[in-house]
Amino acid sequence: MIKKGLHTGAQPAALLGIRTVPAGRVTVFFVAVPMLLTLCLFLGPTGIGFPDPETSIGKAVMTLRFNRLVMGLLVGSALSVSGVVFQAILRNPLAEPYVLGVSGGAGLGATMAILFGAVSAIPLSLPVAAFTSAVATLFLVYWIASRGSRGAPSVYSLILSGVIVSAVCSSLIMFLVSTASVEGLHNVIWWMLGNLQPAPLQQRLVSALFIGSGFAGVWLLASRLNALTLGREMAHYQGINADAVIMGGLLFATLTAATAVSIGGMIGFVGLIVPHVTRAMFGPDHRWLIPLSAIGGGTFLAVCDACARTVIAPVEVPVGVVTALAGGPFFLLILQRKMKHAWIG
Amino acid sequence: MENAALTFDRVKAGYKGRIVLDDLSFQIREGEFISLIGPNGCGKSTLLKTAAALLKPVEGSVCLFGKNVRSMRPVSRARHIGVVPQKVESPMAYTAGQIVMNGRTAASGLLRGLREADYVVIERSMIYTDVLYLKDRYFMELSGGEQQRVILAMVLAQEPRIIMLDESISHLDINHRYEVLRILKRINREQQMTVVLVSHDLSLSAEVADRLILMDNGRIAGDGTPEEVLRPDILDGVYNCELRVQNDPLTGAIHVSGIFEGFNDSPGKHKTVHVVAGGGTGIELYRRFALYGFRVTTGVLNKMDSDAEAAQALGVDAVLEKPFSAVGDEPYRKAAEMAGKAEVLVVSDAPFGPGNLINLRLAEEALAAGKEVWIAGGIAERDYTDGKQAAKAAEKLIAEGARTWTNLRDLMKNLKG
Repeated sequence: MIKKGLHTGAQPAALLGIRTVPAGRVTVFFVAVPMLLTLCLFLGPTGIGFPDPETSIGKAVMTLRFNRLVMGLLVGSALSVSGVVFQAILRNPLAEPYVLGVSGGAGLGATMAILFGAVSAIPLSLPVAAFTSAVATLFLVYWIASRGSRGAPSVYSLILSGVIVSAVCSSLIMFLVSTASVEGLHNVIWWMLGNLQPAPLQQRLVSALFIGSGFAGVWLLASRLNALTLGREMAHYQGINADAVIMGGLLFATLTAATAVSIGGMIGFVGLIVPHVTRAMFGPDHRWLIPLSAIGGGTFLAVCDACARTVIAPVEVPVGVVTALAGGPFFLLILQRKMKHAWIG
Repeated sequence: MENAALTFDRVKAGYKGRIVLDDLSFQIREGEFISLIGPNGCGKSTLLKTAAALLKPVEGSVCLFGKNVRSMRPVSRARHIGVVPQKVESPMAYTAGQIVMNGRTAASGLLRGLREADYVVIERSMIYTDVLYLKDRYFMELSGGEQQRVILAMVLAQEPRIIMLDESISHLDINHRYEVLRILKRINREQQMTVVLVSHDLSLSAEVADRLILMDNGRIAGDGTPEEVLRPDILDGVYNCELRVQNDPLTGAIHVSGIFEGFNDSPGKHKTVHVVAGGGTGIELYRRFALYGFRVTTGVLNKMDSDAEAAQALGVDAVLEKPFSAVGDEPYRKAAEMAGKAEVLVVSDAPFGPGNLINLRLAEEALAAGKEVWIAGGIAERDYTDGKQAAKAAEKLIAEGARTWTNLRDLMKNLKG
């Protein structure tokens, strides 16, 4: 045991100076984010302009833009954070919020709710169906993966059973879609493309509560996620209850992603790429990575949504198309230069 | 110094359907520097995992400083025992400093982060292992020795009272190996930290450790000072080969090495051995004989028998009979001719039935010709002929001067003469 002689008067943290996050970049980031968000509010179909808040039309437009901004922030941050957690727990750069079947499960639930007429009867049944089936799918995947292994399942069996269950769900969706009427088809496809039309206020509040508690949960686990990237065994030796961290992390991340899907549909790309870019820019320390990618992901989706509703107005492009088309090249550029600051090996 | 640091009490442990540690009991006192040695697969790593509560013993108990390790909270367990695994990898680009910080994570609790006192410990352990200057370099880009020292710093930052290293230094070059060992010796001496070093290097273990624990097949085969454990009569049986133990005349250090003699000599100096085998019992014999420079012949074997395939693969001259048929006259005659050219005939622990009973006649002929004949003991248990004819034949052979063998090492020793 190293003796606890604290007689050194020097500031140890300062003395040691372990660099966890580049301060300059964080500053730039926090200056840029409010500017980008304000820009989103100004962006309209007629270019950059500020509608007169005195008129009722202007007021309505501003409210609508603001609500969509909030939706973008909520969904974008939820998907990004859940991507960060999945990548850490599965120790795999290909992991994303949908890897354990969240998208497949949510999609199946939503498709059934739309096609069997539940949605036209009670509109709220769509998010509820998507959410519950997403969470149910996680439990199914976890259960399948943990059969045959004592305790928590291995990372590989989790990924594999997630992929397989997702594939089965997609096939069921395709079957349902192929037998559906034209109108139902349109609704299903539109939902699956994802859009940020503001949900009812109550639903938004509930979702914000879910996503917020998910964030709090994974942030508490942040330093344990750092240790977990050294492998479950090493984390165990360090006195971390690795199985509990994995279980808790998966649960929080899935809850967050499922909530995002239930209000925004299946918006791809954000949950995969934002964690990578944030990690490349700010390093892999999860105590910083989680909040930073929440803010970064939310801003990214809000900006993409602002573009989606303005580029070829009055037609609205699905936001998932913008995230991939506009974000893809930009992020590839960053990753090319900075990848070695994110993943090694 | 008198405190018991780690106690195994009649521990049985292992993996699904396979018990590795078999009724293991021993005690390590606080402040000891122990080297755990033994052949591959003898249970050293399993012992480490059981000690750190990664594996649950099927029976028995493991105690750390008098407390059962299973009932300890993870945080408290990590303050008692730290483990340095063989290799630690992180897929993400953490700096060495960030890696070492992980050592304090469990102790820092869920809600509060690292405190100043934690940073003091981190800094101290980084200075101890001389990695402070590496703090901003990426961990995965460091050399093997540097990585190992960073991991050691991380484990030291846990402030454990026992530290266990699982072959972590064996892949380092000699400079870095001794550097890590010096660090370990120092913390052992200065802080009474108990060190358990799993190692394959017997000479090195003798040099650094106060006490060696030699494991074999999940049991303890030797426990004591290096002089007490590193004795040829103990080691040969455990490692199943011949070893030489020498004392360095200058330093008194114990040096253990394998024996190469007879290996590079011309094969002509060696004898030709004819092996009577079957059912996979000959493979190890062919391999060993070939390794030590004997000329090997074998037969009669059935085609598709695993021995026949091994003989073919190893280039051993073999007489073969059709698959699944009794040995006929023609192959027997050939085998007899072959055995006639050999100086020694060895009968493996093959099962005997009516089909291959005739192979024992080769031994009779060899004995009659005044040759050395070795028969594996316990033939009666593998005798499937009516009226135990094989066992009777073997008894008769032994009465006439054939010798029995039970383990390969002794057989090799005798044959090399």
